[in-house]
Amino acid sequence: MSDIKAIYIHVPFCRRRCKYCSFISYQSRESDIPAYIDAVKNEFSLRSGNSIINTVYFGGGTPSLLAAPQISSLTSAMKDNFNLANDCEITMEANPGTIDLNYLSEVKAAGINRLSIGIQSFNDEELSMLGRIHTAKDALNAIKDAREAAFDNLNIDLIYGLPGQSVDNWKDSLVKAVEVNPDHMSLYPLTLEPEEPLFKEIESRVLPEISADTAAIQYELAEQLLEKHGYIHYEISNWAKPGKECLHNLVYWQGGEYLGIGVAAHSYIVNRRSANTADLSQYIESSSHNSLPPQEVDETITPETEIAESIILGLRLCNGIDTKDFKKRFNIDIMKRYGRQIEELINFGLIENDENGIRLSPRGRLLGNEVFWRFLPDKL
Amino acid sequence: MKQLKTRNFCIIAHIDHGKSTLADRLIQLTGAMKSDKIIEQMMDSMELERERGITIKAKAIRLSYQAKDGITYELNLIDTPGHVDFAYEVSRTLAACEGAILVIDATQGIQAQTISNVYFAMDHNLEIIPVINKIDLPSSETEKVLEEIESVLGYKSEEVLQISAKTGQGVPELLESIINKIPPPKGDVNRPLRALIFDSHYDSYMGVVAYISVYDGSIRKGDKLLLMGQGTELEVVSIGYFDPKFCPADELLAGDIGYIATGLKSVGECRVGDTITSLENGAKEPLIGYKTAKPVVFTGIYTTQPEDHGQLREAIEKLSLNDASFSYEPENSPVLGNGYRCGFLGLLHMDIVQERLEREFDLSLIVTVPGVKLIVTRTDGSQSMVVNPSDLPEPTELLKIEEPWVKISVITPSTFIGPIMELVTQSEGIYKHTEYIGHSHSPDALGQRVRLEYEIPLRSMLTTFYDQLKSRSKGYASLDHEVIGYRETKLIKLDILVNGVMVDAFSRVVPPDKAHEIGKSMVEKLKEVIPTQLFKVPLQASIGSRIIARADISARRKDVLAKCYGGDITRKRKLLEKQKEGKKKMRNIGKVEVPKDAFMSVLKMER
Repeated sequence: MSDIKAIYIHVPFCRRRCKYCSFISYQSRESDIPAYIDAVKNEFSLRSGNSIINTVYFGGGTPSLLAAPQISSLTSAMKDNFNLANDCEITMEANPGTIDLNYLSEVKAAGINRLSIGIQSFNDEELSMLGRIHTAKDALNAIKDAREAAFDNLNIDLIYGLPGQSVDNWKDSLVKAVEVNPDHMSLYPLTLEPEEPLFKEIESRVLPEISADTAAIQYELAEQLLEKHGYIHYEISNWAKPGKECLHNLVYWQGGEYLGIGVAAHSYIVNRRSANTADLSQYIESSSHNSLPPQEVDETITPETEIAESIILGLRLCNGIDTKDFKKRFNIDIMKRYGRQIEELINFGLIENDENGIRLSPRGRLLGNEVFWRFLPDKL
Repeated sequence: MKQLKTRNFCIIAHIDHGKSTLADRLIQLTGAMKSDKIIEQMMDSMELERERGITIKAKAIRLSYQAKDGITYELNLIDTPGHVDFAYEVSRTLAACEGAILVIDATQGIQAQTISNVYFAMDHNLEIIPVINKIDLPSSETEKVLEEIESVLGYKSEEVLQISAKTGQGVPELLESIINKIPPPKGDVNRPLRALIFDSHYDSYMGVVAYISVYDGSIRKGDKLLLMGQGTELEVVSIGYFDPKFCPADELLAGDIGYIATGLKSVGECRVGDTITSLENGAKEPLIGYKTAKPVVFTGIYTTQPEDHGQLREAIEKLSLNDASFSYEPENSPVLGNGYRCGFLGLLHMDIVQERLEREFDLSLIVTVPGVKLIVTRTDGSQSMVVNPSDLPEPTELLKIEEPWVKISVITPSTFIGPIMELVTQSEGIYKHTEYIGHSHSPDALGQRVRLEYEIPLRSMLTTFYDQLKSRSKGYASLDHEVIGYRETKLIKLDILVNGVMVDAFSRVVPPDKAHEIGKSMVEKLKEVIPTQLFKVPLQASIGSRIIARADISARRKDVLAKCYGGDITRKRKLLEKQKEGKKKMRNIGKVEVPKDAFMSVLKMER
């Protein structure tokens, strides 16, 4: 029986692709937006269900490229097909270069109650290196507008570990961030894939190499500074004011089921993880035949893998894994089943344990992979 | 009489001088097979051989050729290994023939190994047909190579054929030359059987298949035979020749080249170089002196995961069924656990065996620093052979160490004499002799070619010697070597400690005055190849209890997948699975994950 609590809607359009991005998004295809909206609505109706939905997330791409009436038509179509809880968290990602007070007021009226603004940096040189379409000033305006439009649940994203970015550069952005006082912050180290322009610029020595040691210092600095300003570090890369944790993302980390709608959107329903085609034209085309989009991923998660994933995802959360919850869910004593790994990791100083369970140590949050792989099942 | 219409020959050539191409061309022109059936260079049958462009196992093909005199001749072409590590196999192949085609590349001239092979063929009274190949290439220097051949080998220009195996130019003339110059086999079918084993391989259906050249007498299926050198008795399970596949026949007669399937379980019972005769009323004298090729390079082989040791044992046993020239003995390392000390004919042979073990048996192996076999005399007068540095006695118990030396011969343009001389001196070698090749009236920009002779410890050749020779001569120098005997030497054991643990697999014997320099570069190299760990790792080089060099690997600070949301989970899990798989290629030593390549990398150090 499926028990979907979360819906993700992917908006695969960008005015310009950022130079570090590996998400599925198309530039110069904005003329396809109306057809895409129709296709998404169609997918809503094909996948409609009765379970109570607690969280909705519009991610991208750049969801704020959609006009406010388009957002509104999507939220109402969703309500037609799903049972949205009264206090449903509905997040929308927004690019500071695409929004103003008027727009934000309209999407608020359309039902969006949480805004996630991709600030990335408060330093214009860094923004231009990343290929962002906005400036630091645009970012400050966007935050001000969001507050004026009465968004009381506001996230900003920042990136550290940039080529040539000093610890002080990072501190400047962080200080500006806490000054504008968002409710939630996601801080990511720059991670590049070979096909991305920024990767190539580093390869060809146009930009200096990324220093993992500097990124580690920057991360530790953020931990101290945000704690001082009342943020709770609740996931490896996420901080929130009390009660402002992102409910949608918590569904992922707690192993909950979710439904993904739109191009390249992933779903996890009854031990199956699947993903819609990443091809925009194909997605729209299949909708015109009133059929579900082709699946690019369709994986059955075995019980062994589910256990491993739930540990890996659970350890991302700063509260870690509760022994009793784990026992209740899998009927397994985690301390017994993984005694050898846990002891080894405690000796390395990567995890901590007490009577409630296990969690990453501050050092383990920087060396999470060394923890995670140890919980994977041996290949058959 | 059939024997008079038979010609048995091989091709002698340096690597890449075109031996396999010529073999293909001969096969095609004689119509042994339809040309559309020819697989490029089909005599190299092992996958590994083709990748490396060398021939490890000799094979033989029977060709049918109608000569200009109207008579149809039977030609047996025997392929020879092209690398000095397999000099013994080459020598047995030559002994199985009456003639040899000497192939020399028109763009490269005579190479060091070519000369030793030619001398060997001359020793066996083979008729040699010198041939210059690749004359179709724009960069060919036929005139210059003709001069070299005359000056070094004494063949006049008119005796040398000029061909292109690739285009076929000159090859028909070569075929006629084979008929006219190479004598037919001289044996007598009525005398007691004598046949030489020039190669063998193990086949899971037929047992050991011996490749033989029948000198006197004849063999039929079911015959009971004796190997004169080893004393092995066997019965002929099946018999035939190659065209180039196995082609069963009723009998092999004096002068024939072919195979017998013996049903034996291991090539070790049926070694190359032995003479076959009849079990009853056999011949009195073998064809040539039988000896076994002796390993000269030794190394420890272990699995990266200790629990795979059983698979390694099985793999080594299986492989040795097919390769009688490598030796193995179980050994135990305090750090690596159970493994084998293996002996090889040379570094290439070692590489090949390692690759075959990994590829054919799907193993992940650690190969320790290769070394030579030392003769050690203790103060109490006892003497022993030492192939593992860990077995070297304490200095107080040590009276004398002797190590093998080799004579090397290098052919190079004279411009590079200086840098090569310097390399040999650094490698503890001694200069012996210089000989100019060809005529001095046509020197090119790099100077006249010259053959240099040195003597150096074999130990010095086991590191970067060959790579350095190539780089110092811009790729022009070629090298040949042969072991000449043992000489007294001063050597001490140099150890490496990883995180405070002495790793015997890194131990090696070095001259005392170089220990410091070698120790330092070893720890520096290891610092590069061992990835950062979760803690700081000291790397130390020591002699006895004295630390002579140190380098530290700093602790890893950051390794985390920063983002993981709904769309990432599968992908991120797969990245972690890869990370986990990678750990299997590491050996855990003193809590440090050491990549398997680290063990060999310490040898590939710049000087």
